[in-house]
Amino acid sequence: MVVSRVRVLAIETSCDETAAAVVDDGRVVRASVVASQAELHARYGGVVPEIASRAHVELICDVVEEALVEAGTTLDGIDAVAAVRGPGLAGALLVGVSAAKAISIATGRPYVGVHHHEAHLYAAMIEDPLLEPPLVTLIVSGGHTLLIAMDDHGSYRVLGETVDDAAGEAFDKVARFLGLGYPGGPAIDRLAHEGDPDAIRFPRPMRHEGHDFSFSGLKTAVVQYVRKHPEVAVADVAASFQAAVVDVLVEKLRAAALETGIHTVVAGGGVAANSALRGRLEVLGATGELRVVLPSVALCTDNAAMVGAVAAYRLAADGPSPLEGPVVPNLRLV
Amino acid sequence: MLILGIDTATRRIGVVLANEHGMLGRVELGAVSDRSAPRHAETLAPAIRWCCEQSGVELAQVSVVAVGIGPGMFTGLRVGVTTAKVLAQSLRIPVVPVPSLDLLAYPLRYARRLVVATIDARRHELYWAIYQPVPGGVQRVSDYELGSPDDLVADLEARGADALVCGDGSIRFADAFASLGSRVELAGSAHASPSLSALAELARARYEREEFCTPAEVLPMYLRRSDAELEWDRKGL
Ligand SMILES: [Zn+2]
Repeated sequence: MVVSRVRVLAIETSCDETAAAVVDDGRVVRASVVASQAELHARYGGVVPEIASRAHVELICDVVEEALVEAGTTLDGIDAVAAVRGPGLAGALLVGVSAAKAISIATGRPYVGVHHHEAHLYAAMIEDPLLEPPLVTLIVSGGHTLLIAMDDHGSYRVLGETVDDAAGEAFDKVARFLGLGYPGGPAIDRLAHEGDPDAIRFPRPMRHEGHDFSFSGLKTAVVQYVRKHPEVAVADVAASFQAAVVDVLVEKLRAAALETGIHTVVAGGGVAANSALRGRLEVLGATGELRVVLPSVALCTDNAAMVGAVAAYRLAADGPSPLEGPVVPNLRLV
Repeated sequence: MLILGIDTATRRIGVVLANEHGMLGRVELGAVSDRSAPRHAETLAPAIRWCCEQSGVELAQVSVVAVGIGPGMFTGLRVGVTTAKVLAQSLRIPVVPVPSLDLLAYPLRYARRLVVATIDARRHELYWAIYQPVPGGVQRVSDYELGSPDDLVADLEARGADALVCGDGSIRFADAFASLGSRVELAGSAHASPSLSALAELARARYEREEFCTPAEVLPMYLRRSDAELEWDRKGL
């Protein structure tokens, strides 16, 4: 599907990144600006919703302005303005949606409210502008762990999701336990390079049980192991834990693709920036069994370019969202 | 000169359009419960658009956006402040931020006693500021404060002057002021919400004196830090 010429100004404030982007025709990124708040939240060991919301208000004008300047355009050149309306932190979502609606009434351009997970899925469409459904997508971050079949634009089936912790949450909790700080994903990824992924055989939870995930037991296994073996090399723990998570993610993605008969798989979300996961997915693609589309790291972590991409398709298919449209912190994809 | 004013510091959503001759239009929407903040985001932009349509003006004609910056309910406040600053940025015009407590006090500038503006802060606390009527307006004689109703009563007792208390904090905690007897009077429901005509009037004067901000600079006045920060300090970490 090709969307007609449309330039979208997109905003993303669902968690702790304040982001804006200008995207043409749902595929071509003219500018993408992300202001990370990670430092503000680091000492608390996780995202503090009230602090995130306050930072969004402080950053929103500058981030939007920077995106327009970087794209070499102004609001006069924009055809629509989009924002993530859920899922996410209520107070944080409200800032981006209020900003998008304000731009909408100031410019007379339509407002489009989009789904955060659907946006992650469309990051792959930016990476490969010729990519079309059907696809199977693995979305993994601190907030979500989902396996989704995209049968067509706007047509999704959730095949599996986590029954407890999100994969990124497990990274954060294990990193905190190991004293590696926040955010945990990058910290474990770095340290794992110096460790042996086969040093400790941690469990691969629910590996062969359907498409759902479970990571809280794995986190507990890490804690118990380290308490029992206090002399263990932390790098080996990090590498072995990471290997267990990656094993489960890759095998479940592969199984979902084979079972649905969909031969193109994509990954998105902050955990898809993990170097071990990326390496394994590249190997999977190289076998030729499946086609693997892996968006760049900047497109995997939260950003507004993916929001601009999906918004073009939603606008073409469904028209503008109502100005009265709410934010929905627990918004479902289907 | 056309002013667009917005105040969402309390449950009430307020929009006003005014020029140098007076008010052109006004929308005020109440809310039925404390869980109303998300409704601010659903209602504010349509209310602004509707107010413009009914007043026969275009947003492009607006010269300045005035906004009540609180203190008040965090999420509702952020909807109003974000809308105001992004609207102003989009229209390439300045913002005049006005504390919402000032908007409560200003309409009572003819009172011959202290005016105490209050906003319900939840958790059995209120935000307040104390004003002295002066020719042409009110002059603030306290900081912008956060505290319990007892803290405010103690402050008023210490001042020993007659006072008129307004705002939704004075309605919620009306009983707390009884101990002050006839020295303190409550202004009641007519003065429960920050005044939109005060917003337009104060903003016009400040705009003419060029006391305005660029949109990016405008932030809510929170007075209360986040729970996580308070907890952090409490633990002495
Ligand atoms: Zn995400």
